[in-house]
Amino acid sequence: MQELDTVIALSRTQFAATALYHYLFVPLTLGLSVLLATMETIYVVTGRDIYRRMTHFWAKLFAINFALGVATGLTMEFEFGTNWSTYSHFVGDIFGAPLAIEGLMAFFLESTFVGLMLFGWGKLSRGKHLLVTYMVALGSNLSALWILVANGYMQKPIGSSFNPDTMRMELTSFTDLIFSPEAQAKFVHTSIAGYLTAALFVLGISAFYMLRGRHLELAKRSFRVAALFGLFASVGVISLGDALGFINGSAQPTKLAAMEGLWETAEAPAGFNLIAWPNQDEQRNDFELQVPYLLTPLVTHGFEESIPGVKDLVADAETKIRNGIPALTALRTLRENPDDAQALEQFEAHQDNLGYALLVQRYAEDVSQATDAQIARAAADTIPPVATVFWSFRVMVGTAFLMMAFLIVSVIYSLRDTLLEKRWLLRVAPWMIPVPFIANEAGWIVAELGRQPWTVYGQLPTWLSASTHSVEYMIFSLTGFVLLYTLFIIIEMFLMVKFIRLGPSEPAKAPVADSGPHRHSSQWSEI
Amino acid sequence: MKQILLFIFWLCVAMVAIALTIVLGERGAWYFAWVVGTVMIVLIAAAGTAIIDARYEEEHD
Repeated sequence: MQELDTVIALSRTQFAATALYHYLFVPLTLGLSVLLATMETIYVVTGRDIYRRMTHFWAKLFAINFALGVATGLTMEFEFGTNWSTYSHFVGDIFGAPLAIEGLMAFFLESTFVGLMLFGWGKLSRGKHLLVTYMVALGSNLSALWILVANGYMQKPIGSSFNPDTMRMELTSFTDLIFSPEAQAKFVHTSIAGYLTAALFVLGISAFYMLRGRHLELAKRSFRVAALFGLFASVGVISLGDALGFINGSAQPTKLAAMEGLWETAEAPAGFNLIAWPNQDEQRNDFELQVPYLLTPLVTHGFEESIPGVKDLVADAETKIRNGIPALTALRTLRENPDDAQALEQFEAHQDNLGYALLVQRYAEDVSQATDAQIARAAADTIPPVATVFWSFRVMVGTAFLMMAFLIVSVIYSLRDTLLEKRWLLRVAPWMIPVPFIANEAGWIVAELGRQPWTVYGQLPTWLSASTHSVEYMIFSLTGFVLLYTLFIIIEMFLMVKFIRLGPSEPAKAPVADSGPHRHSSQWSEI
Repeated sequence: MKQILLFIFWLCVAMVAIALTIVLGERGAWYFAWVVGTVMIVLIAAAGTAIIDARYEEEHD
């Protein structure tokens, strides 16, 4: 058991590391593709050449980020099979379909059009090139959609049922899967968070140019597009975050309790813990600063519902474990004799809580003989690490509001055309580039760590999902990933800094067969 | 003839859009919100920038 725990811990560390690393690139790809389409739209509509150069320059940075995003995403798809083979067997029927579509989207739709977008200048007409750029934006976001449909299933299993003959989950409704409220809200929240990331990225680099008096007209215009784009995205991302919290609240009450640091069930109208220091061992907050009456309307969108706390959720999990044990014992009988009608009847009566019985199997091989202490221990496991989830959530929300405030100020000064006089704003902007990345990573920690101890919520525990590799193998592969990805990030940073320092290069070839307006910027010589 | 074909084409596009709106609005309200939201963000950012550009150019002229 000791070795198994170590392998699971290493598998989780490896997946968390590769996912968090991959997620450094994804939001920028999602957002910058749409921002590029916006810039190119202005070029096609107005015919101002400066917007073509703008699109061309930011597309270079997009390409660097895109390449590393694809490379780091590939390993994760394989990781499901290599490190999480029980999970892949258990839900492969459901998880495999969106993952396969994502692969097709990423490699055929997105990659094909990325090539056309980067190398199509001078070969495609303006309209066709714009269409290609929009296809890149659509392809990027649609590949994210399928991954998040798969992830939405892990957060709230829907459109599937467990087949005791095959011992795995089977898809019963594809439409339920893709229209799951969890998947929908998660996709929109993630996609728009990408828009915000791209906006802050463009703002920061444009401010850097303005501070140094380089490429002024291009930088001012880039700043303006990104500020407007980012401001509306920030409103969207906060709204969708609220929606996701509302949906999560009913789907995963344990995550909600951890996010809010709620140990006791909070009767309406409950106060919101603005700051707290959760103590999981003693199931209380060592310190808390509350805003009265705020939590109930935030979480339930009403004023009457109570919000379950950790202690009641643990008690509820104990009941579910006890109810699930007959399903697991019946399943073992069915494995020996699939025609046993009594066992089948017993399984069907208790199958809703089968996953909870699997939790106690970690401590009692024969679950029918599980002691009260073992059941209590398994029930306590259903609560994720509260302090980490609580603080990650606050980092995500706090940085979201910080970005919105910054974007409001940026839009005002950009529209007044007084940016060059506001040196403080230009100095702050480059420091804002990492902020959305921190928010994205914190959000991912809330989503994934908050779901623990499950890989598929309420169905499959994490401890049962991993492959049975040796500890040495896991250490070897984890070390390999750390070394390889460190090299990747060095390459990424080197290329980004190099191309940012170089700035917009010689004008790219204009698209052929121009039929619309075409005007050179009056400040062309300044660029 | 070309005008009629164009008219029919855009009519078909409009019908597909309406059908999609009904289907998405019913089952995929958030997906629909994403489509509308993204279009709005792109339009506001693009139109806002272009309009401001034109205004400053007029002032300079």
